[in-house]
Amino acid sequence: MQQIKALIATSKPKSAADYIMLARHIGGEVRQRPPESCATIRIALLSTFTITGIKEVLFTKCCAAGIMPDIYLCGYQQYAQEVLSPSSKLYLFNPDLVILFVDIQTLLGEQYLLPYTRSDAKRKRWVEEKFSEILSLVQAIKKHAKAAILLHNFNVPLHSPLGILENKQPFGLKESVESLNARIRGEFKKDPAVFVFDYDGFCSRVGKEGVTDYKMYYLADLKIDLQLLPMLSDAYLTYVKQIRAMVKKCLVLDLDNTLWGGILGEDGFEGIRLGPTLDGRPFMEFQKVILSLYHRGVILAINSKNNLDEVMRVFREHPYMLLKEKHFAAMRINWNDKVSNMESLAQELNIAMESFVFFDDDKINREIVKNVLPEVCVIDVPDDASLYIKTLLEFDGFNAMQLTNEDKQKGQMYVQQRKRLELKNCLNNIDEYLKRLETRIIVKKADAFTIPRIAQLTQKTNQFNMTTKRYLEDDIRRCLLDPRYIVLSAKVEDKFGDNGLNGTMIIEAARDVWIIDTFLLSCRVLGRGIEDALLACLLEQARKTGVKTVIGKFIPTEKNAPAKDFYKKSGFTLAKNENRTEHWERAASMPYQHPKHIALTYE
Amino acid sequence: MKRLKDILSRVLEIDAQSITDETSPDSVSTWDSFNSLLLVCELENAFKVKFTMEEVTKVKCVRDIKETLGRHGVQLKEDKYA
Repeated sequence: MQQIKALIATSKPKSAADYIMLARHIGGEVRQRPPESCATIRIALLSTFTITGIKEVLFTKCCAAGIMPDIYLCGYQQYAQEVLSPSSKLYLFNPDLVILFVDIQTLLGEQYLLPYTRSDAKRKRWVEEKFSEILSLVQAIKKHAKAAILLHNFNVPLHSPLGILENKQPFGLKESVESLNARIRGEFKKDPAVFVFDYDGFCSRVGKEGVTDYKMYYLADLKIDLQLLPMLSDAYLTYVKQIRAMVKKCLVLDLDNTLWGGILGEDGFEGIRLGPTLDGRPFMEFQKVILSLYHRGVILAINSKNNLDEVMRVFREHPYMLLKEKHFAAMRINWNDKVSNMESLAQELNIAMESFVFFDDDKINREIVKNVLPEVCVIDVPDDASLYIKTLLEFDGFNAMQLTNEDKQKGQMYVQQRKRLELKNCLNNIDEYLKRLETRIIVKKADAFTIPRIAQLTQKTNQFNMTTKRYLEDDIRRCLLDPRYIVLSAKVEDKFGDNGLNGTMIIEAARDVWIIDTFLLSCRVLGRGIEDALLACLLEQARKTGVKTVIGKFIPTEKNAPAKDFYKKSGFTLAKNENRTEHWERAASMPYQHPKHIALTYE
Repeated sequence: MKRLKDILSRVLEIDAQSITDETSPDSVSTWDSFNSLLLVCELENAFKVKFTMEEVTKVKCVRDIKETLGRHGVQLKEDKYA
């Protein structure tokens, strides 16, 4: 997969044809030599017209992101049958993601060009009719497939035979499409399995005038210009990366000519450009965008060649320095090279290199980081600082399928983490440190409030994750309805604050045997014996319900080495190892030592 | 001419040397309707022109492409090594 990624990177594809040629080339290679373990995804694209080329372009885009896709396109004008029939090829394909692309021309039919042959009242009814059609399609997909659904909204037409009088209609053409979009958005706001893709917004972004190349439309029924397919695929990729938990967590920032204009060491405290002046505003507003990311849970860090005390003065005294020390989870302000600073940031924050996004105005620094640390996402920063906010606003790597309370407080939690580290550093005895932390764990059965976070933990946790099974909110909800499953969540608190919900256990519970399907702990709280306390709690519950044997599964991945010996250390014995899954067994009655420094309550 | 041949050989996955004025969908198996669309896109991009629908439907061979490009003011230098 790395080779394929590199091939795409060096080919620098631009046009749709470039992507299609690459797809043909890679497709041939892959058939001969399938790549070994890498992320995969099964995407089904259902559309009202044949989107010539989308399969190839999307294929190459997925490969470029390190994901090997399997893409299914429904037959011409077959989408409704495919969706409604439980035994259709669509469901046999077993997709992870279903994209439903119904275009407005098809939906309006005759009314697209002749909208005012109908009355306003009929147009109102049309909205309700089409809304329920779309709704029933989505419901059918939800019923028959275990997939995330990406539902296109509709491109609001620019044209109207009424011209400037369009907006004087009691319920006009544009209004009807806008209402349909609003109905759809409202309907799925709370549905964790359905994401409404703002195709109308996409069309606006690329320019509605150019969405259809009419010649191609008449020649090949192409309702979207072939040239736009790379951008459309990029938009889809945002969701694909989410499903595969390839989410960026931390924004690493340079300081000079990034957070302010000029060089602090040369221009001095008064000389840097930051504030409501002509050349200070781009930086002031750029900081606002960064702060908005902090509030949605992006971790912030600094990697800058500067003198620490000079920078601290800017943080504390500069009237227009919006970002403060408290917003940064870690800072590397020194004269080391950017790469070693990056490495030590990864270590301190305990997050993987591929979770980092690097923003630096200096091209050479960016190239060095790109070359030495290819996992880091390096943003192509424009030379013109007035384009910084546009660049960051358009960056879509921080997107998450859900935004939980834990997310929104992440910045704050990392600051508490810094204080924990300070305590640890001043105590040289680890036991003493753990005791002084006063850790408390609350274990609870999953409920409506904790489901989103539990699903998110299964999506994001890579290190201490015994089986790395990824679940959507709907999967968790299904487990709750199924008496064979027990889903537990664990909340961790200590004297520095609430760490939030950080652990999950999913148990397949039979009368005599409990099988641990999922046992995971966020890396944020690792190394404190919390996993031992959770296992003790699980074993105690098993014993209480009369279970004889507890089986723990372990599936090794590239990243879960920290979890490798967990069952072994906890007195389990290896019963079998098949299909890369280790089965560890333990008699439930065998005593297990609950760690003394942790208080655990089971609710 | 070289740019035209480059595009044809890349999209149709054929050897540039083998392309003549007579090369057509009948003589090249990869010249199907999908690749025809791609050719239109690539030619429009490369030569900064927009074809009409009629021009697209009338093209039967490479010579027709050259003539059409010529009508749009694109001068193709004959490649002496071709």
